[in-house]
Amino acid sequence: MSILRRISFSLFRSVITLILITAALYATVMLTPPETLASLYMPKRTSPRMTEEMYAELLQDMIEKYHLDDPFPVQYAYWAGNLLRGNWGYSPNLQEDVFVGLLRRLPATLELTFYAMLIYFPLGVLSGVLAGTRKKGIFDRLFRSTAFVATSLTPMILAIIMIVVFYITLRWFAPGRLGTAFAPLIAAENFKSYTGFLTIDGLLNKNPKLSLDAFRHLAMPVLTLVFAQWAILGRITRASIIEESQKDYITAGRAMGLREWTLSWRYALGNAAAPALTHTMLTAASLMTNVFVVEIIFNYPGLSTVGVKSLAFIPDAPSAMGFAIYSTVLVLALTTLLDLLKAVVDPRLRENF
Amino acid sequence: MGITRKFLSHWQNWLGLIIVTAFVLTALFAPLLSPMDPEGQDKVVQTYVRVPQPPGPGMPLGTLPDQSSVYDALIWGTRDALKFGVGVTLVIFFVGTLIGTLAAFLGGTSNSLLMWTSDIFLAFPVIAGVVFFNQLSNSMLVNLVSTSDFAGFPLDYLEKWGYLKDFYPLLNPLLKLNPAAVTFALFLWVPYARVMNASVMRLKQVEYVLAAQVSGVKNYRVVFRHLIPNAIAPVLVMAAKDVGALVVLQTTFSFIGLGHSTPWASALLSGRDWIYSPKGIITYWWVFLPVTVALILFGIGWNLLGDGLIDAINPRSDQK
Repeated sequence: MSILRRISFSLFRSVITLILITAALYATVMLTPPETLASLYMPKRTSPRMTEEMYAELLQDMIEKYHLDDPFPVQYAYWAGNLLRGNWGYSPNLQEDVFVGLLRRLPATLELTFYAMLIYFPLGVLSGVLAGTRKKGIFDRLFRSTAFVATSLTPMILAIIMIVVFYITLRWFAPGRLGTAFAPLIAAENFKSYTGFLTIDGLLNKNPKLSLDAFRHLAMPVLTLVFAQWAILGRITRASIIEESQKDYITAGRAMGLREWTLSWRYALGNAAAPALTHTMLTAASLMTNVFVVEIIFNYPGLSTVGVKSLAFIPDAPSAMGFAIYSTVLVLALTTLLDLLKAVVDPRLRENF
Repeated sequence: MGITRKFLSHWQNWLGLIIVTAFVLTALFAPLLSPMDPEGQDKVVQTYVRVPQPPGPGMPLGTLPDQSSVYDALIWGTRDALKFGVGVTLVIFFVGTLIGTLAAFLGGTSNSLLMWTSDIFLAFPVIAGVVFFNQLSNSMLVNLVSTSDFAGFPLDYLEKWGYLKDFYPLLNPLLKLNPAAVTFALFLWVPYARVMNASVMRLKQVEYVLAAQVSGVKNYRVVFRHLIPNAIAPVLVMAAKDVGALVVLQTTFSFIGLGHSTPWASALLSGRDWIYSPKGIITYWWVFLPVTVALILFGIGWNLLGDGLIDAINPRSDQK
């Protein structure tokens, strides 16, 4: 039962966090004039030109309908109800409903994050353990110098260099999500979107060329993310392996004649995985920040598009709010997932299953 | 071995110290090093050419496509970077340290309240905060300056805003605030509070603090004379590293169009098309290289300084 309790507790905490964050966001928007506030609820403007009277009337309707004159708790409750119903407002810059726009772009971001984590997680743990078990050995030195370079070369600089080398000079990879030749394929009627991940959908639709092209476009952002995140994870793992390997149970195991390989990979890593995962949980938000930065630099059409486009000339509170809320939801989901992973991996927590 | 001697016994720490000192000196003597007006209005080459010019007399590191000198952007950018990094770090350092200490000292409810709050802050990506505050200041700005909507609505906001007239003097500085700085100040004090909280919680049980409390020393004196000075070391290290990290993050955000522009970021941004051309990074190296190297060195310098401080302060450290 314990695993169920853990899941429900984790979910409960996420929901509370989300409620508080949205409340804070709404309270901040309340500082702006009611026009901006009302724009959170505005439907798509039907007529291209609206007279001042019509607009004022519409505003008045909005203010009445959504209780925009009421105190904060009432307003917030109405707004949250709207959010739950999927009415996140209409964005004049995106020219579409914010919720629809966010949902449409979600698979792209998820695909990028998924592949990046798929690569950097094992890589970080592997190099952390290898470096930590033979401290000051050749691999440790190599790891530490590479990690130093990786953390110093910020994602931005790395991205610029990658574009120049792999896109402009070598023509191996490309920015964006898909080549122009494949765009009609996606839009075609017989293309079924099963997962939203183009790399997998291409295979499922028996079009491996499409998958290959999607990978070609994913390569640069994924590599940049991996390079940035791998070093951090590797350092944490290394530090906790070093700490664990000085503990008595390792010495006892060594005295019993266990092989070094078993000691470090089974026992030390089992206990060192928890700090590494905890650190990843705590920095999930900064991982998402990195994902969005990389998306923007590589022109990858993920969630960040909503945030960036909201900064065009027309004031566009709905999409900025939507972006903020959605990315918080992503971070919370990631944290919950990692929490579960921690429960599975950590022997001290596993016993309670 | 004293902390100073231990610190100076590693060449990495020397390197960090030298880099940081160089940046500080550059920022201090910017008007001497680059006698131009800080707004960069003086263009070196008065032509209609839109090609970055290679280094030559009067422009030690060449020019950007808009014919402004890279060297000037570099020198004056140092000033901006240091101002931003040190300023924001000071704010989050003081706020975080104070909140962390007080929560730990008071204990009980306030402590769990801090943990709870910090959990919430940690779930919010900084980039979303920057977008959000950028949006807020944008919409205020647009509302203030425009009397007609983009789509042609004749909206007389200034009149509608009658009730806000009293706040106009307040709004002006608000609009000048850098959204990136606001977001960093709002969100990044959390790690400081957490670390400080943990070390004060440990210190609270140590005999000399208990002795001070029993002997009737006032609470504020216990906090400011005994707790904070003895628990400050780890947060100090974080602060040293953060100066570099925040500037790097701000430049990144500025490069992708969030927050105010900085000289370094806008140098990269305005030269982007020349960097992204076949062999552009080699042909127009002066557009890319100086600013990049400065940014990387800025990050590395403060990072080395922080790492050096950890080793010097913490006798158990196994970093080196």
